[in-house]
Amino acid sequence: MSKPIAYIVFIATAAFFALFFIWPIATTVEEAFIDDGQFTLDFVAHIFADPLYIEGLSNAFLIATFSTLTALLIAMPMALIADRYIFPGKTLLGSLVLVPLILPPFVGAIGIKQILGQEGALNILLSKTGLVDMSAPPDWLGEGRFWGVVIMNALHLYPILYLNITAALANLDPAMEESAQNLGATPWCRFRRITLPLAMPGIFAGATIVFIWSFTELGVPLMFDYQRVTSVQIFNGIKDIGGNPMPYALVAVMLGFSVILYIAGKHFFGRNNFTMTGRAAISTKQRKASPLVGMLCSGFFACIISLAIFPHIGVILMSLATDWYHSVLPQSLTLQHYSDALGHELTVPSIANSLKYSSISTLLDLVLGIAIAYVIVRSRIPGRNILDAISMLPLAVPGLVLAFGYLAMTREGQPFHFLLPEGNPTLILVIAYAVRRLPYVVRSAVAGFQQTSVDLEEAAQNLGATPLRTLKRVTIPLITANLIAGGLLAFAFAMLEVSDSLILAQQQPHYPITKAIYTLFGALGNGHFLASALGVWSMIFLAITIIGASIALGKKLGALFRV
Amino acid sequence: MVSITIDNVSKRFGKTLALDNISLHIEAGELFFLLGSSGCGKTTLLRHIAGFYAPDKGKILFGKDDVTNTPPHKRNTAMMFQSYALWPHMSVAKNVAFGLEEQRMQKQEIRNNVSEALHTVKMAECSERKINELSGGQQQRVALARALIVRPRCLLLDEPLSNLDAKLRLEMRSEIRRICKEFGLTAIYVTHDQKEALSIADRIAVLDSGTVSQVGTPQEIYRSPRSKSVAGFIGETNFVPGTVKASNADGRVEVTTRHGSFIGRKASPAWEPVIADSVTLSIRPEAFTVSESNSETNSITGKLASLTYLGEIAQYGIAMEGDTLLQVAELNPSILHHPGEVEFHASVDPDDVVIINN
Repeated sequence: MSKPIAYIVFIATAAFFALFFIWPIATTVEEAFIDDGQFTLDFVAHIFADPLYIEGLSNAFLIATFSTLTALLIAMPMALIADRYIFPGKTLLGSLVLVPLILPPFVGAIGIKQILGQEGALNILLSKTGLVDMSAPPDWLGEGRFWGVVIMNALHLYPILYLNITAALANLDPAMEESAQNLGATPWCRFRRITLPLAMPGIFAGATIVFIWSFTELGVPLMFDYQRVTSVQIFNGIKDIGGNPMPYALVAVMLGFSVILYIAGKHFFGRNNFTMTGRAAISTKQRKASPLVGMLCSGFFACIISLAIFPHIGVILMSLATDWYHSVLPQSLTLQHYSDALGHELTVPSIANSLKYSSISTLLDLVLGIAIAYVIVRSRIPGRNILDAISMLPLAVPGLVLAFGYLAMTREGQPFHFLLPEGNPTLILVIAYAVRRLPYVVRSAVAGFQQTSVDLEEAAQNLGATPLRTLKRVTIPLITANLIAGGLLAFAFAMLEVSDSLILAQQQPHYPITKAIYTLFGALGNGHFLASALGVWSMIFLAITIIGASIALGKKLGALFRV
Repeated sequence: MVSITIDNVSKRFGKTLALDNISLHIEAGELFFLLGSSGCGKTTLLRHIAGFYAPDKGKILFGKDDVTNTPPHKRNTAMMFQSYALWPHMSVAKNVAFGLEEQRMQKQEIRNNVSEALHTVKMAECSERKINELSGGQQQRVALARALIVRPRCLLLDEPLSNLDAKLRLEMRSEIRRICKEFGLTAIYVTHDQKEALSIADRIAVLDSGTVSQVGTPQEIYRSPRSKSVAGFIGETNFVPGTVKASNADGRVEVTTRHGSFIGRKASPAWEPVIADSVTLSIRPEAFTVSESNSETNSITGKLASLTYLGEIAQYGIAMEGDTLLQVAELNPSILHHPGEVEFHASVDPDDVVIINN
């Protein structure tokens, strides 16, 4: 790659990041700390003086801690099993395990409420067997539905940990454990003293993402109507955003916490990034489980998967129910809600809007991702590692923070007000979606370039193909699978994006699906059912996209997620 | 077919000087080898000729055409990569057709050319196969066909045989020479395998840490190495330090060593030996003849320390005075000598003693 082109790409992407990543964060922070041109800590101090905000922060912290722990508890044994054993149905189960990641969690919240709520299906079922007294039913979701939020977060986010831990374990040299075994260490001792410490950087990387994600998650607590958490407090603060600096201060505090957490974690766990010297063949490590153990492994995976999709099964039932109250299952089924949902003035435009925003942002991601990955892998310019690092940053910054920043920078009178012409959020939403999901595309494109030998590109140039033709005829076709995988993740996440969508789309004609679901859910009458039906519609869309792409690729579903 | 001139080319990567002022001239139609150990700069030089690197200074000419700043896709060189670099998403025929498609040739014409090229490399039956269905030798043939089909101005081969097994390597190296000569190609062949170079090269350039140590025909390189590094790299040899005792009118030089005195020939004709000059003798193990008794000059006497029997050759290690070990090889040995025998004698013809000025 020629140096001038590399520098142009570098400068262009750096400028994009400066404008749409640094700038919005800076604007938010500025609002939080500047009053009448003067630096002030008053707003932040005010937060720590207000018991309501303190409670919100501590709840967010607790939610994040318990969500991460629960997700770890689910993901760790699965990853260990997948790393060690070959068991029946492993390929299929190994792919399905990742599906919850793209199931919209705040839609699942509807289902969980219906099943685990005080008057929900579980209590009714238990009361029929006499275990539960319906006059004083147990509250499975906890006070203010705290546990509901935790369960939903954990069931949604454990695949991130699973992916990170399996990757970390796969990189371990089997000889590490074998030598411990050879020296007489018991299995538990090997796990505690060898495997766990060596896999720690991977576990930590995943746990950080899960923690920050659930710390700032907006959609799930909102659907549970769990008000006493910072993210919801910020969201509610938007209504009077004009003069009120408190939401900004809250966002700044949240950002501060996330960054401190990230740095602290990196300091304690991430420092020793053990590089493995040689690797033995993987086949020596994975062994076929005996029929009984194999059944147990398959059973365990199947259990977790059904548990993870069970909120969404609740949603599907809900969307089909004529009425579902005080009964284990809906009394009777109907397709009425689907046709009603399609007839509603909110739904069809919202689907169209989401498809439009998501596909344009995915295209933008692909262009940026290929360019950035090309510079990172194929050029030798000095700044390429910095580019690599900054393109990963959106993973560490809460979506809520960015959404707020975009809101602030497009207000009237701000230089970027033109991105929100007459309240039409198309441009700013496309940019917001693209920035948030760029890391997935960059990672997958980088992996693609790294797997593709430079020789293959040079051979094409050597035979007379210009650099652009080489990219088109050799490089892109060879990394298509990676690009589709990264692009699909970006698209799926954009379709289900909550923070940006709820905050930036403020006029009904421009609502994306998520905001439409949220609005319908709060509507009186059959709102719950319509929201569920729309939720199912969106899941169907996602399923079609992903299955279609996997057929087009001629690959198994799972390969799409192994970015 | 074109001659290639490398004119004072230098290239620096970070702190290492990869090419240090290299000049070479390769004749049109010549099969020219760049030979050296890994890290000597041979592949770097080849990639300069292909255009993947630009020299820091110096020029590269194809005929009279200065291509120093021509991008790779406009040079019309065809390179065979060490990894073959066959595109896994295209069939054999598609791979081979690529270069012609980039030249916008007519479809029918491309098809004819492809089948002809595959025929040349004996791969006509495999045209619709996928790359990962081919064996190493077959991939090598496809890579060759893909390079030949564009009628390149020169063919560049980067260790093309290193991924093949020993037997296939022998077969393919003569095949490569046959095809190069049949097409009248100027070809530059990079290798670290001296047997490959000696067996099929027209001329060889021996490279060492970014400089050219010697250029010559295989026989010149093997029999008259100009420097210790060339002598040591090509084949096996014994180095014996000594000082010049006399310089004869017929070009022969007499040298005193701790193992006796030797008469030999000068490595470089330009060198005028002066008495008491310090020199190194290079004597190939197979140049020795095992003899019954010692003579005054050009012979060694020592204790037999080791025997390695290889069938066609017996290799003897002779322990000399002062802890030096000399290697002697006997071709087609009928009687084997075993370590422990008291005295071992061998003599060498003055023609086989190369005297290198230190």
